[in-house]
Amino acid sequence: MSKTIDLNPVTRIEGHLAVKVEIQDGKVASAYVAGEMFRGFEKILAGRDPLDAQHITQRICGVCPVEHGMASVLAQEMAYQLAPAPNGVLARNLIQAANFIMSHISHFYLLSGLDFVDVAMIVDYKGGDSALAALRDWVKGQINSRTVIPAAPFLPRYAAKYLQDADANFSALRHYLDALEMRALAHRMGAIFAGKLPHAATLVPGGITEKVTALKICEYRSALDTLREFIDRAYLPDVVAVAKSFPEYFNVGRGCGNFMAYGAFPVSAGSDAKFLPSGVLMDGKAQPVSERAITEDVARSLYSSASGRRPSEGETVADPNKSGAYSWLKAPRYNGAVMEVGALARVLVAYQDSQNGTMKSAVDGLLKNLGREAGDLNSVMGRHAARALECKSIADQCVRWLDQMTPDGATFTDFSIPETGRGHGLTEAARGALGHWIDIRDFKIGNYQCVVPTTWNCSPRDDRGVPGPMEQALAGLAVADPENPIEAARVIRSFDPCLACAVH
Amino acid sequence: MNSLSRRSFIELSTKLCALMGLGAGAIPRVAEAVEELASGNAPVLWLQGQSCSGCSVSLLDADAIAPAHLITRYINLSFHQTLSATTGTQAVETVNKIIAAGGYILVVEGAVPAAMPRACAFGGEPFGEQLIRAAKAAKAVVAVGSCASFGGIPGAENNPTGAISAVQHLKNQGVSTPAILIPGCPCHPDWLLGTLTHVLKVGIPPLDALGRPKAFFSRLMHDQCARFPDYEREKFAKTFGDEGCLFKLGCLGPITHTDCALRQWNGGVNSCIRAGAPCTGCGGEQFAAKANLPFITKKRAAQQQG
Repeated sequence: MSKTIDLNPVTRIEGHLAVKVEIQDGKVASAYVAGEMFRGFEKILAGRDPLDAQHITQRICGVCPVEHGMASVLAQEMAYQLAPAPNGVLARNLIQAANFIMSHISHFYLLSGLDFVDVAMIVDYKGGDSALAALRDWVKGQINSRTVIPAAPFLPRYAAKYLQDADANFSALRHYLDALEMRALAHRMGAIFAGKLPHAATLVPGGITEKVTALKICEYRSALDTLREFIDRAYLPDVVAVAKSFPEYFNVGRGCGNFMAYGAFPVSAGSDAKFLPSGVLMDGKAQPVSERAITEDVARSLYSSASGRRPSEGETVADPNKSGAYSWLKAPRYNGAVMEVGALARVLVAYQDSQNGTMKSAVDGLLKNLGREAGDLNSVMGRHAARALECKSIADQCVRWLDQMTPDGATFTDFSIPETGRGHGLTEAARGALGHWIDIRDFKIGNYQCVVPTTWNCSPRDDRGVPGPMEQALAGLAVADPENPIEAARVIRSFDPCLACAVH
Repeated sequence: MNSLSRRSFIELSTKLCALMGLGAGAIPRVAEAVEELASGNAPVLWLQGQSCSGCSVSLLDADAIAPAHLITRYINLSFHQTLSATTGTQAVETVNKIIAAGGYILVVEGAVPAAMPRACAFGGEPFGEQLIRAAKAAKAVVAVGSCASFGGIPGAENNPTGAISAVQHLKNQGVSTPAILIPGCPCHPDWLLGTLTHVLKVGIPPLDALGRPKAFFSRLMHDQCARFPDYEREKFAKTFGDEGCLFKLGCLGPITHTDCALRQWNGGVNSCIRAGAPCTGCGGEQFAAKANLPFITKKRAAQQQG
């Protein structure tokens, strides 16, 4: 018996994602992951002032704007041979960190949470928590009303087995409501140095335009402490509770097994060492990242431009009617190999790094608590766990960056835009390895290319026909009820896909 | 207090019809729409076109209403691609059910790839077609953000998809549902919440010539700017991080009508200009539109030597 399931659109991700899975004998025989929206940022950037780049590329994605702004200023700083001011480096770390914290909390609760937490159970709530009681009364009122879609956006949903432990479920629901506040607080914290979020105003090559004052340090620290408390009290315990209730998801969603991180966050101003280290794990072996090994295939992508190019020489010519193509994503490859990027990749790279004892002990502690081994991390639940551990580790590190700041010290190093120049900026977005490539000609942007985390994770088949990481992670998955393919949704969302990023 | 008289509805509707270039025949229909909005808690259908979701993210950064209260008490968010539990075929059915019932406020985020329909699709349907279906059955269309209002970056010069604003697309296709434009990149959550509340409780708010709520877009940023005294004294920042007016760094405050210099962002914690970043004019019609009008400016190496 074979059947095709169209998960189109996949909601609770950023953007326009369509996934087609072919089921044979109850299991996924093959999966096709497609990006459904294209704007042409790389074409729009050509011919513009290079300083437009950090503003325009942030608008690729409203969830990861800071990271695009960072990749852009890093690419320009390479092209301008410019070293940013120490306070500027620290402030940029703190802005980027705030966006990571916002993104990870949003992903677990708002985006993935409703695949595990049972919202419908709220009608049976008898406890004394006022927020949950209000939610119960609202849901009951909605169900009894003539509203077209009662209790939206929480219902309707797939019929499936959700969290059954009432205490864990109500606690997670309460934390869903809290997470809405916490993610906004994380953005408020970032805006102390970013001017506003989303779409940070202050990022420029050379540092930031905002100042660093003792009061700003204090404001950031106060918000940070509230967030750290939420991560310790709610986020990590909820991930553990979900992991214990759905242990089978440590055996589901195994990806391609190759992982890559470009690394991000200078440990301190002027340091080449990154707080999130860079590295490639291929066939279990660690190796350094080489920017020259990155290429993008387009055989199955809706572009007529040349395939297999390095991003520095890349082109983006749309061909919406291209025969045999099924996605607006290109297919990035590293030395020709498929790579998974994201928090799991970063945590595994750090775990292998003998210098990084803190992450190793955090991972080992969580694995021991769950009765799991490191090999189990390449899974749906492993991706959620890695994100939570990383969120805590970054939030804790922010304290040290605040301590390194010099109130009223310079945040910006001046520069001139050269007539010609080339550079690339490699950093990490919450969703994984992010790179921008700029080529300046006659003081203007000659060529600009972005290779984005979800471009890696949701890539279509490449020129050799090899499926992308998510396509591989779906293959072999058992789907009990094709009308309610919750298993596939859980695998897809574990990657935290961001489609406005992936196709830009 | 919150309700308007029949007479004011007709007056408002007449103005709206004039604003949108509609004939007198449309006045009773618009009046009816406005009246129903005033009396009921209409559901909100939120659709995304060529967008970055930044306006959705910005809404969740709201301070005036706690986001959890917002989605469970103040509006019935019948569908939102980033928040709704429903997914896949069930999500398409949900949206179609909402459209069939009609009577909602359609919030649209993003542009429409008018010359390349394949460049944006929802459940296999080109977004431009879905938008027309949804707008026809809506009481009002609220275009949130610069892309939906004016085309924004997807519609900027040299764009390969022929992107136009959602509002322009509806106009081109002859859809006459009243539209409110709330630009900004992103849209400030107060602007959207203030407008939605006004639409739900009172009716369509007074709009300027571009269709933006006057309450938020009637005054020049420059006139409300904390750095205005520096401008008066001709104290100009020469480079980033300097004290002084940001005019010579390309600040577009003098041609941009928004209230963010006073309102501030993210719960009042900061704003672009307060943080030393020149205004990029994101609330204006020309935001990002022309390749030769830069977001910010910095002298070239050759010019500085000269």
